[in-house]
Amino acid sequence: MAERIPQERLRNFSIIAHIDHGKSTLADRLLELTHAIDPRQMTSQVLDSMDLEREKGITIKARAVRLEHTAHDGLTYGLNLIDTPGHVDFSYEVSHSLQACEGAILVVDAAQGVEAQTLANVHLALREGLTIIPVLNKIDLPSAEPELVMDELETALAIPREEVLLLSAKEGTGVPELLEAIVDRVPPPKGDPGAPLRALVFDSHYDPYKGVVVYVRLEEGTLHAHDLIRLMASGAEAELLELGVFRPQLVPVPLLRAGEVGYVATGLKNVREAQVGDTVTSVARPATQPLPGYQVAKSLVFAGIYPISGEDYPLLRDAIEKLHLNDASFTYEPESSIALGFGFRCGFLGLLHMEIVQERLEREFSLELIASAPSVDYEVLLTNARGTIHVDNPSKLPPVSDIEEIREPWVRLSVVTPAAYIGALMELSTNRRGTFVDLEYLDPTRVLMRFELPLAELIVDYYDQLKTRTAGYASMDYEEIGYRPANLVRLDVLVAGEPVDALSIIVHRENAAALGRTLVARLRQLIPRQLFEVPIQAAVGANVIARETVRALRKNVLAKCYGGDITRKRKLLEKQREGKRRMKRVGSVEIPQEAFLAMLRTDES
Amino acid sequence: MSSPETEPTEASPVEAPPVALYVHVPFCVSQCPYCDFVVVAGREARGPTNRIDAFTAALETELRLRADALDARWGMPGSRPALASVYFGGGTPSLLPVATVAGLIDLIRDRFGLAGGAEVTLEANPGPDERGDPAALRDAGVTRLSIGAQSFDPDELRALGRRHTRADIAATVTGARSAGIPSVSLDLLYDIPGSSLRTWSRTVDAALRLEPDHLSLYALTLDDPDAEGLTGPTGDHLPLRPGARRWREKARSGQDDDRAAAMYEIADRRLAAAGYEWYEISNWARPGHQSRHNLAYWRRLPYEAVGPGAHAFDGATRRWNAARLDTYLAALTPTERASPNPPPGGSERIDSGTAIAERAMLSLRTAEGLALAPAALARLATRLAAPVAAGLLDEAPNGRLTLTLRGRMLSNEVFARLV
Ligand SMILES: Nc1nc2c(ncn2[C@@H]2O[C@H](COP(=O)(O)OP(=O)(O)OP(=O)(O)O)[C@@H](O)[C@H]2O)c(=O)[nH]1
Ligand code: SF4
Ligand SMILES: [Mg+2]
Repeated sequence: MAERIPQERLRNFSIIAHIDHGKSTLADRLLELTHAIDPRQMTSQVLDSMDLEREKGITIKARAVRLEHTAHDGLTYGLNLIDTPGHVDFSYEVSHSLQACEGAILVVDAAQGVEAQTLANVHLALREGLTIIPVLNKIDLPSAEPELVMDELETALAIPREEVLLLSAKEGTGVPELLEAIVDRVPPPKGDPGAPLRALVFDSHYDPYKGVVVYVRLEEGTLHAHDLIRLMASGAEAELLELGVFRPQLVPVPLLRAGEVGYVATGLKNVREAQVGDTVTSVARPATQPLPGYQVAKSLVFAGIYPISGEDYPLLRDAIEKLHLNDASFTYEPESSIALGFGFRCGFLGLLHMEIVQERLEREFSLELIASAPSVDYEVLLTNARGTIHVDNPSKLPPVSDIEEIREPWVRLSVVTPAAYIGALMELSTNRRGTFVDLEYLDPTRVLMRFELPLAELIVDYYDQLKTRTAGYASMDYEEIGYRPANLVRLDVLVAGEPVDALSIIVHRENAAALGRTLVARLRQLIPRQLFEVPIQAAVGANVIARETVRALRKNVLAKCYGGDITRKRKLLEKQREGKRRMKRVGSVEIPQEAFLAMLRTDES
Repeated sequence: MSSPETEPTEASPVEAPPVALYVHVPFCVSQCPYCDFVVVAGREARGPTNRIDAFTAALETELRLRADALDARWGMPGSRPALASVYFGGGTPSLLPVATVAGLIDLIRDRFGLAGGAEVTLEANPGPDERGDPAALRDAGVTRLSIGAQSFDPDELRALGRRHTRADIAATVTGARSAGIPSVSLDLLYDIPGSSLRTWSRTVDAALRLEPDHLSLYALTLDDPDAEGLTGPTGDHLPLRPGARRWREKARSGQDDDRAAAMYEIADRRLAAAGYEWYEISNWARPGHQSRHNLAYWRRLPYEAVGPGAHAFDGATRRWNAARLDTYLAALTPTERASPNPPPGGSERIDSGTAIAERAMLSLRTAEGLALAPAALARLATRLAAPVAAGLLDEAPNGRLTLTLRGRMLSNEVFARLV
């Protein structure tokens, strides 16, 4: 940075949109126009640097970049851009990003129009009191209908059409005008650079040399390259190793002032000492009050994550701790299972989040993992006024006699869809124990429908069904609306009388029998015959509702073993021995791990 | 040294001169699709282009080379133990001209030594054009004929691709009897696709009616040696022909483990009632007619072996010849420039851990069972608990373990816990 840019010329903004509406592509153009990146290093969606992001073509993590722009008034402005993810599971990333900004660029695909996440993200930005700059993207597309979409913005979000900019992030048209609008419309940050330091940790990563590197937004005060800092919640103190900004790669600077966004290399080795949401202050002149921090992201989906080979458990533990630093939105605690060994019970924001955490653990730490069937968090009212407990692992549900009532989480679902699919979506929701709330036309052909639905029904395959039944046109968003009582039971699968914990599920009583039959029939195919007969049962409490039998093995013999066969036959036996060693034991029944994996992988009904 | 009384955990590989000799004769009239033996069939086995003479010459050369090596290592015959058994296996050794068999036995007697009363087995197929001349074989020194009967059911014989009939089997047995061959054995297969407990009972009864001295009953096993990686240039198996692989895949669907186990139990009962004693998983014999040669394998005694794909064991190392006939002939046939060499192949040194495992698995196959010292028994107790509880193993008061009837059919479940 040539000269220090005064606070009134700083602009902090996020780019928000429904998934795939072009946020990251727009960020590319802004980086180019402000020469933040060497044109030779430019790729598309350059901020989506994670392998998984590039493969899936979506943004998973918000990314901040510091840009400089010389505006029409001849002055240089410091812009801090945050590209955010669009998928519903990552809306906490959006709200963290918005907290570090004064403005938000709302991107809407001019061909697709307003979608469920468009609405959700605008509401988040308004809640933070941000200035919104609405832009219609992809106007280069022949199918773009800017007038219609501007109608939608007016109807659904009361955004006047005069405020809307038209652009093509792909071709770059309209992007210079957007830069001017950012300078003109987004207010500068306000905090006092002379006050005691308060900087909010909004993200972090672990670097083997620099220790925990926290990403901060300075609300007040000034931070110098060699300050001694303290994390107010953990109490950890550290001498700064490095201070810098994202351009987008990490570039050291001598100081950061109120309103700026940057990173701080703490040298701390213990990842727990510098968590997202903590406040950084200086030891020399500490602030008295920490910043409000973040509301802890609430996990909605829970599953056990286990290493496929038991010896990897310590590696998994280490990996989870490190990844958690980079994604504080999942929760974890150790658990063990007869079928799967030692692992962790993890909470996720949604199924995509679960999939991504698992994939990141596998790739970034070279692990092979298996997840148990996803579950929601149940509230269980115990008998005899013993209060309520929460259960996110079906095998931990207390015995029926201890349960007064089970309550399950419900969500309010917002679906934006072409009006032609109203009937199909009504049917889908009723099939899933849902209720229809209301419906609103966004324009003559598209509607916003609201439903209420048990979350457990949503996480099975609701999203896939929604896409299938609307030829891919519908989009959805949901928020939790609390717990409601339900007629739920735990369905256990027993092998030779022993329950297989990883296979227990909580289901609606009416579905239990049918599901029980499918589960035992499937498991029967997967369990090899043993030295004795093995009954496989599905049970609700002490009630067996389905039963199959794996008959006893009668033949496993090498008929011929003469002089020429001994080595070969021994090797065949050694192979059988290895197979046996890898088996899991439920009671005295040996079950190959693959059987559990097969049960869990196809655990959608 | 290698009797099953020894405490297996002390088994350290001890090299010793061979007490048995295996001779592999790869020729068959046609190749059976379920066969895993090293076999050449068709034009190489019969007719003007057959390789039998070339093979015989090569085999004699190999016998001489192996004998030279034994002489150097263990001393000349007479100063080292003579062979207690010789086994001509195949393939179909009964396809060899009797003079050839006689010449080979003479050569063996000369170079390896044959103990008085040695067992000399030759495998024969019952077909009229392949069963050989029993009287001449007896004169050549054959004491035991092992006949590949397989089944007495015409449909099953056809399903297996066998060309002989029930009458051929009977003729072969009576021929051997009247020629005075002292011991006659029949091989039968069960779990043949399309078979039933009825057809099997009839086959067993028909076999018993011929009053053989010995019976080997084998579950038809349809492995794929290709898949096991045994068929490379120095491998001891030949690649499976695609037709055979397809046949096996189809045949497997006609097999049934439960039926196979029931067949085994039926046979065991009938054979016992008819005076045959069970002595190895797949073998029964009248008293005094157990195959001494095969017992040597199960007792881990050292044996020499010649012919393509053959395996030898000297107490510490297993050595095998590559399976391919052409490379076998190439190595052993002298040329102007080169004198003959042992054929290509491979070897494997058996460490003491492996030796213990082998001893356990081999001796448990037999009625002699596995004798364990109390300490060893205690060490294995947890591993043996499940098979004992499931009734697969009997433990005699002296600590000797033997397979039960059910345990024989499930013996891999026991062995896999011991190896
Ligand atoms: N034709 C056209 N395509 C565009 C334009 N902007 C983006 N795209 C395409 O739209 C797709 C999605 O673009 P991204 O920039 O990854 O969208 P995003 O909003 O960042 O997506 P998420 O981060 O997953 O929410 C890509 O295939 C882009 O090439 C545009 O102006 N015109
Ligand atoms: S006759 Fe015997 S050795 Fe020859 S191919 Fe048939 S099964 Fe194999
Ligand atoms: Mg993106």
